Amino acid sequence: MSREWTIKSALIAIAAVLMILGGAPLYKHRHYEVPVVAGPGVTSVIKLSEFVPSLKGSMADADVFVLEGKEPGGKVLVMANTHANEPAGLLTAVIMIENAVVEKGTLMVIPEFNASAGRNTRPGDGYPLYYDIPTEWGAKRFRMGNRDTSPLDQWPDPDVYIHYPDKQLLSFIDVRNTNRTWPGRPNGPLMEKVTFAAMEMMRKDRLNIAIDMHGAETMFPVTNCIVAPQKSAKIATLVSMTVKAMEGFDNHVEPSPPNFHGLSHREIGDFSDTLPFLLEAPIPFLDQPTGPKTVKLLLDGKDPFLLSLSKKKKLFVPYDENGWPIEKRVGQHCSVALEIIRQYSKKNPDTAIRISGIPRYADLVKNGVGRYFHDPAKAEKKSVYYE
Amino acid sequence: MTFQVGVILVLMVAAYAVAKWRKLSVELSILSAAVAGGIAGAIVKTPPLAELPRHLIEGCFPYLDVMLVFSTATIFMAIVSESGGVNYVVRGTIRAFYNVRFIALLILMIIVLIPGALTGAGSVSLLVVGTPVALALGYLGVPKKKVAAMMFILAGLSAAAPPVNIWAMMLCAGTAIPYVGFEFTLGIPVLLLGTFTALFFGWKKEGTLDKNAALAAMPEVPKGMSWWRVLLPFLAFFGMVAAYRVWPFGTPIFGLPLEFTVSALVALAVSPKRIKILELSRNTMKRLLPLLATMIVVGMLQQIMTATGVRGLVSFAVISTPLIPLYILLAIIIPASEGVLTYGAAAILGIPLIWFFDSIGLHATVAIAGLSLLWPLGDGLPPTALIGRLSVMVSDYKDSYWSFLKTTWLPWLVITIVGILMVVYSAKLAFLVKWSM
Repeated sequence: MSREWTIKSALIAIAAVLMILGGAPLYKHRHYEVPVVAGPGVTSVIKLSEFVPSLKGSMADADVFVLEGKEPGGKVLVMANTHANEPAGLLTAVIMIENAVVEKGTLMVIPEFNASAGRNTRPGDGYPLYYDIPTEWGAKRFRMGNRDTSPLDQWPDPDVYIHYPDKQLLSFIDVRNTNRTWPGRPNGPLMEKVTFAAMEMMRKDRLNIAIDMHGAETMFPVTNCIVAPQKSAKIATLVSMTVKAMEGFDNHVEPSPPNFHGLSHREIGDFSDTLPFLLEAPIPFLDQPTGPKTVKLLLDGKDPFLLSLSKKKKLFVPYDENGWPIEKRVGQHCSVALEIIRQYSKKNPDTAIRISGIPRYADLVKNGVGRYFHDPAKAEKKSVYYE
Repeated sequence: MTFQVGVILVLMVAAYAVAKWRKLSVELSILSAAVAGGIAGAIVKTPPLAELPRHLIEGCFPYLDVMLVFSTATIFMAIVSESGGVNYVVRGTIRAFYNVRFIALLILMIIVLIPGALTGAGSVSLLVVGTPVALALGYLGVPKKKVAAMMFILAGLSAAAPPVNIWAMMLCAGTAIPYVGFEFTLGIPVLLLGTFTALFFGWKKEGTLDKNAALAAMPEVPKGMSWWRVLLPFLAFFGMVAAYRVWPFGTPIFGLPLEFTVSALVALAVSPKRIKILELSRNTMKRLLPLLATMIVVGMLQQIMTATGVRGLVSFAVISTPLIPLYILLAIIIPASEGVLTYGAAAILGIPLIWFFDSIGLHATVAIAGLSLLWPLGDGLPPTALIGRLSVMVSDYKDSYWSFLKTTWLPWLVITIVGILMVVYSAKLAFLVKWSM
């Protein structure tokens, strides 16, 4: 064998080893299952494909946990992982599924609204693959997902995404972004099917409230807030004032722009009778000017670059040495969601919803997130679902 | 933290410099920088050593789609060229417009602007119409160096032109600003700058070829070639692009790679001469290999820069700069970031910049338009130099890359000034957005 062939063979061998060592964790990540223990309030678990059958068997066919109270009342839908790289929503949803008890009305929770994005990574952005939440019974491991659907599940992208039905031009990547594909259509690209299924669920089951939980950069003006269209604005304002007065955290109201299409807070309200709310909690991990993208940064939100920028007044949220820990972010989501339900119920006693068992902001800040997760090893097998 | 990340950055730069000193290719030099950064980062567990292979492999993929587009589009154009279609078009252009230089230059400029404007990719302009336009310019008496420079600037402007401007779309998506109001805001500067560029490079005729001599000097066109044989593959391509625009909810999403593949098959079917498709494809891919390799290693570099915090440090340094120096620095940092990160630069620097500009009362839409005139310039800068290298390739310019790049200086400067002034005076230019809506 010539020297050139020896070198080429060695390089091919190195590349092959690198591909196995580097590819195997990515494969494992896509197929890693997160156990979720259905709590005492869960009465059934359905799939989005019940509303759009062509979703059946796809990675996008998300679970919908239904918690129906004994007393009839209103219905609220809580969605997380619309963007699967904003984990506070998912953690909040799992806390609700594992702990909530509905006394009146119905709570529906979709923990992985973009189930494909939850199994996707973000090439070029150096995210960790997983993050662990400490609990009393050990660490509970979650996948770190991506903002967009995996191209393994929806591909190719168009050269430009034309939003249905408004024909607004959006970036090609937004065809895989479930917060740009609302209200969707039954025969569109996969993510339009997902949003259409949720719209059908809202219309057929006459849902009263839809809450879409997100995270946003500290340098993004629309952060630490409730985004609401005109029809939801009054409740959102009352919620904002109440959590500030009663629980001591800021969560201002941002109006949903009427000419920016595809977002849940815009289209759900325009295409159904449901009142939409989009919750944004700050997530320093997603800011561009941060140090290494580590699990620690993801969970404690502490970063020296952001601290320096905060002193130069370049952030849109208060930021100090304590960062923005996950407990605060999940606590805000829990409290704001509960307060939306409470304010709605006060205004609409006929379709009121009463829920207990979900911790509020102060509980989470004091006890941590892991305190509210149940050990799947000790739970009944039939009540453990894998997300 | 700043010291730790700074040391990693220095080591990455040193690895790149050593690799270049050892006369390794650009691709291997970038790979060296990425690996060095990863190993240096692993010492402080950012990222942990066990995760380094995953980061390197995952980093190979940010530009997979772009690579597919480049591959299929280049094979498409290679078939059109091999069939004699390119020579046929060039001959027709010279015959019709040789004596009306101003019109000829404007028409050639518009031809280059259209594919990029429709797809948001200057590379598509170069890959689809670059070769015939470059040849036509050559026969109009424009030297190859100027042809390459003109193709580069026009391809960049085509990518910035409405209706599809990917930088602006990414910025709008990241800043929650609707992608509306760009038609005049981008269209007017692009047309003015494009006209200036075409006339600056093309107005002066060099050489002594007259029309007949130019036609005589051109290669023979294969027997049986006709306008419909040339146009049919392009009609197939633009037909698929246009069908999605006109009937977006009734047309399946083909994606650019499939659209180019179908067009290539049409070109193959209507070619008047037999084409050895496997051999042609193999040779084309060999030619493209350095460009594809660059895109892979740049993805790796980005991944390592982010995982180690180097990308954040760079972004932090830019955001921390005071306003007036920041305006001036835009001329350097915007193109330079594009040279390293390509479209990723819009997210890393563009989004925080637009948030900052918005917060001090500038008009975000006009500022985005201004910045998106500067980004394409960076596509001529190393390490990626994607559009610059394609421009040199389609123009068949063989001399040094830097001499080509230096030739672009005046249009580069004018575009830079226009882009920065659009940012600075964005509030006063808000009427352009109103006109567009």
